[in-house]
Order: sequence, then C-alpha cells, then structure tokens
Amino acid sequence: MLQIKNLKAKIDNKEILKGLNLEIKPGEVHAIMGPNGSGKSTLSNVLSGKKGYTISGDVRYLNKNLLDLEIEERAHKGIFLAFQYPLEIPGVNTNIFLKTSLNAIKKAKGEKELDAIEFLKLVKLKAAELKFDEKILSRQLNVGFSGGEKKKNEILQMSILNPKLSILDETDSGLDIDALKIVSEGVNALRSKESSFLIITHYQRLLEYIKPDFVHVLINGKIVKSGGSELALELESKGYESLS
Amino acid sequence: MEQLKIDFDKIIESLNLSNENINSRKKNFNQFIGNGFPNKRVEDWKFSDLNQIISSNIKNLSFYNDLEISEIDETIFIDKFVHNKIVFLNGSISKVDFIHEDDTKVLLTRDLNQNEKFKEVNPLVSLNSALTTGYIGVTVKENYSFNKPLIIYNITTKDLKSTALNLKTDIVLEKNSSLKVINLFDDNSENNFINIVQNFDIAQDATLKNYKIDNKINSNIKYFYNNINLEKNSISENFIFSTGSKFIKNEINCNLNDEYSSAFINGILNLTKSQHHEIKTNINHLAENTKSYQLIKSVLNDNAKGIYQGKIFVDSKAQKTNGYQLSKALLLSENTEFDGKPELEIYADDVKCSHGATSGNLDENAVFYLMSRGLSHQQSKELLINGFLLDAVEKITDEEIKDLIKKMIGITE
Repeated sequence: MLQIKNLKAKIDNKEILKGLNLEIKPGEVHAIMGPNGSGKSTLSNVLSGKKGYTISGDVRYLNKNLLDLEIEERAHKGIFLAFQYPLEIPGVNTNIFLKTSLNAIKKAKGEKELDAIEFLKLVKLKAAELKFDEKILSRQLNVGFSGGEKKKNEILQMSILNPKLSILDETDSGLDIDALKIVSEGVNALRSKESSFLIITHYQRLLEYIKPDFVHVLINGKIVKSGGSELALELESKGYESLS
Repeated sequence: MEQLKIDFDKIIESLNLSNENINSRKKNFNQFIGNGFPNKRVEDWKFSDLNQIISSNIKNLSFYNDLEISEIDETIFIDKFVHNKIVFLNGSISKVDFIHEDDTKVLLTRDLNQNEKFKEVNPLVSLNSALTTGYIGVTVKENYSFNKPLIIYNITTKDLKSTALNLKTDIVLEKNSSLKVINLFDDNSENNFINIVQNFDIAQDATLKNYKIDNKINSNIKYFYNNINLEKNSISENFIFSTGSKFIKNEINCNLNDEYSSAFINGILNLTKSQHHEIKTNINHLAENTKSYQLIKSVLNDNAKGIYQGKIFVDSKAQKTNGYQLSKALLLSENTEFDGKPELEIYADDVKCSHGATSGNLDENAVFYLMSRGLSHQQSKELLINGFLLDAVEKITDEEIKDLIKKMIGITE
C-alpha cells in the first residue's frame, strides 16, 4: 500500500526527516514511537501533503508517486490524517463540513453523492458507535469542543470517510481513559484486510487498545529500530535513551 | 459647477415647491457650492476622496434627470416572503404598496415641502436637501406593529448615465410601534452618483429593524446618510450588506437620547476588483444606561479597499453606558487595503466601552485541514470565508432576512 524510501524533509532549511524507510501493506497496523522533535508530526504532514517542506526520496502509495498528488487528491485516494491538534473553524457547521467532505471524496471516486437524508442517517449511525453526542455536530466545527470531543470528531470523520490509509497523529494525547477506549474501539472497528493504519504516539498506552502489527522507533528523523508489538513495552520500560 | 447651477434651477422649476422650501433648498445649495464634494483633506473623508472618485469615474455629471418614467421590472421583487413596497425608480417614486397593513395606522406622505431636518451636517447632506426629487415619509402610529416587512427598492435602469440622484426618506415610529425595513438596491445603470438621506425617529418602546442590501455588481457611486434618534427603551437594529457597487460610503449618526435605548450596527463588506466601500458610524450616548454594539466583517479581494470608522461618544450624563465595536478583515490579496479607525470619546466615568480590530489572511492551517478532508482549495477558501462572514450575519434577528442574506452570500445549511 505505502512504500517510503529514503524520505528526507526540510523546513526552513532544517532537516527533520533524514532518510526514512517504511513499508505498510494492506491490513497492517504500524505504530511509530519516538521522543519529541524526532519528526513524527513531520512524517504525517508530509504524507498528507502539507505545504512548506522541501522533500526528497520516494513515496509510493497504491503504486503511484504520492508526492505528486495535491492534498485533496490524497484524501480522494483514501489517505486520512487524524490531526494532533484539530483546527477550530468558526462559522462552519460540523455536519455541513462532514457532508461536503464525504461528497467531495465520493465525487472524485465517481460514486453517487449522498443527499441530506442519507447523510444524516450515516452520521447518526457512526456517531452512536463512537458514543458521540450528535448535538455537537450541529455546532461550529471544533469550536468550543473539549480536547476529547475534538479527537472523537477526528475518529468520526475517519469512520465516515472510510479511508484506506489512516494516519493517527498522537490521537491519544489529551484523552482520558474512557475516551481512549471509545476512540480505540472506533479504530478497531475500521480494521480490515484492505485498510491500513499508521499510528503515531509518544506512549505505549494507546497500543494496549489498538494492537499494532509492527512498532518502529523514530529518532532524529530516522527509524532506528523496528519490531513487533513487544517493542512498545520495551520502550516503555527502558525509554528512548537506550536507542539513541 | 455651472452645470450644477443650471440643473438646480431646472429641478426647482420642475417640482411644485413652496417658497419656504425653495429658500431652504437655496441655502443648502449654497452650502454645497461653498464646499464642493469632500476630498481627503477633510478628516472624515481621508480614506475616501469622493471628489477624486467622482471626477475619475463620472464624466459630465448631470444633476437633473429627465428620463421618461419606465416600467418596473417586477421580476426583481423578492418572492421569498410577502412584503410592503416602496419603489424608487431612477430617483422617482413609482410604486407605493402597503396592502398588508392597516391604513389608519400607517401615514404616508410624498410631499416634498417638508421642513428641513438637517442643518449643515455636511456638504453631501446639503446637496441632497437642495436637489431632492424623490421623497417619502412613513409614520407608524402608536402601538402598531407592521404585519409584514417593508422593502424599499432602489432601482436604476440602464438608460440612466452620469446622473446624480438625490433621495430622501423619513421614518417615524411612534410609541411602542415596530417596523422592519429592507433597503434593497437593484442597479442596472453605470456611473451615476446616488445620494440617499434617511432619517429615523424612534419613540419610546418602539423597535426598528433596518437592513440594507447592495448586492448587485455595478459601477455607481453611492453615499448614504442615516440619522437615527432613539428615545427611552427603544431599539434600532441595523445590518449593512455592502458588496455590489463600485463605491459606497455608509454614514450612520445615531443618537441614544434617552435611557435604556440601544443601537446595533452590524455589517459586511465583501469586495472584489477595485471596489471601495466604507462604513462610518457616530454613536452618541446621551443618556444613562444606553447600549451600542457594532460588528463589521470585511473580506477584500484583488485591489479592493475597505474602511470602517467607528466612533463612540459618551456624554458626561451617560453613566452606565455599554459601548462595543469590533472590526475584522480578511485580506485575500496583497493589493487590498483595509483602514480601521476606532474612536472613543468618553466624558462619563462609569461606563463599559471597548473596541477591537484585526486584519489578516486566511489561516493556512485551516485550509490544510479542510483540504486533507478532500475539499479543493477553492471549496476550503469559500467555506472559511463564509464562516468568517456568518458571525456577523448571525446578528440579524429577523429569520427571513437572515436567510435571504445567507443565500445571497452563498452560505448553505
């Protein structure tokens, strides 16, 4: 699904990613762990197409050059980034945003767009699964949402858009244990043979609920160690120091 | 100026005026002649040099309009809700229709021989008083609330060119009455100067909702002067949707004359190309416990220029005043300009007054967020701009008119 070879990314002349290699196959869940400043968020930004980076290396997604695609084209082709800090968008109704987003993706795929009734039915269903109060969805996008509500809203978007490759950027930060469970259940419900996940996190905690197939340690812009889910536990006890 | 004198005499001759009215017009005429169109050396006009704007946009401005009265294109009437109508067509009243109201409770007059309300306010108000050709006065009797809104249509047709129109309305709300007015502009003409003076006297416990919609792209140059007098416990709600004309200066003078009166002035400037619109307000808190609130949102594209000059004056008698104003502007191109000039002049010590102004570009992170959900750059931009404007639109308390303006902007729900 995704092959990253020797990916380097610079911003403001500072090199953040320094030759990263990673392969994710359909149905796999990969976790990337690493200390602050190791390049975790840069990786998720680069994969979803954020501007401002000077990039070299090769990133192939579904056998196409991902780096050639615009931000929205990546979304159309099934890439989803759950933001670490979801933005507050004043004046934009959450439901309208969700519908615009879903229909933009459907349109790009040549599928039939949903009308208001079909859409509301879908949202109701997905919101209930995530124990997400639908009333929140008639409010302005993320405005005045608690940290937990913002993160749940990201997962709700993910479950509505049903992406092929989901990148979760520190989705666990700022979540209490109940919210963490609900969010994890939401992610687990989306796991399938066709969909893959890249989970970026500081802590092993989230990985107790979403069991990864692979764990990678990112330090100073490079993956320095990869292993199975047991690697996360090892990191939790020994810290990153032992690897740097 | 020679042309102006000839046109002035023609207007006086063509209208059936009393000697008293003619004398008052002459005084106003001389006041205008003594000053001319305001230029940027006049403090109130420093961001909008009207003299220069008129001379560079209108050749051989004529002050007398001898166009034949044409038919009204009724397709432009709002069909979303029933309403009363006053139609100004090329500067003359061509239709007055109050079928939804009790005609013993609404008094109308079209008599041009009115006592002059304004004394030396500014040269443009004087010019208007000297040359007024279209006038209507509406009085809403005590305790009467309009059943339906009143739309004042201001229509110009394409055969109107390089002409100055001077129109005037007087609206009086007696005690405990209420009225919703929409001033709607439908310009099919080019390069005219349209000068409209409106006075509102709002008596105790009365409520006026006054909306102005200039939404159709045109090359006319407009000056609006609104004077609002508020008595005890009365309310004036104003909304300005300013996006169609080449140039507009909206000037509002509002006197909160008695306790517990309140004034709301909210608005949107949504401009492209070389449009240049200004909102200038003077809110005078002249009694205790009066309230004013202003929120202006501007979106500027291309070479557009937006201006908001908001002044809050608090008299020494006006303790417990609550005055607020906020201006926010989105500058979407390097060549746009926004000028904000907030002014607070406060002579009372127990007041709550605040003002704020921001201007900036679209938040690129927000654009990225929306695009990462599959929206195109254009869709993301529109959603963010509409979201930015919605804040002001939501201040409109009348649902029908709020929906109408939302549709005009392109806000969907």
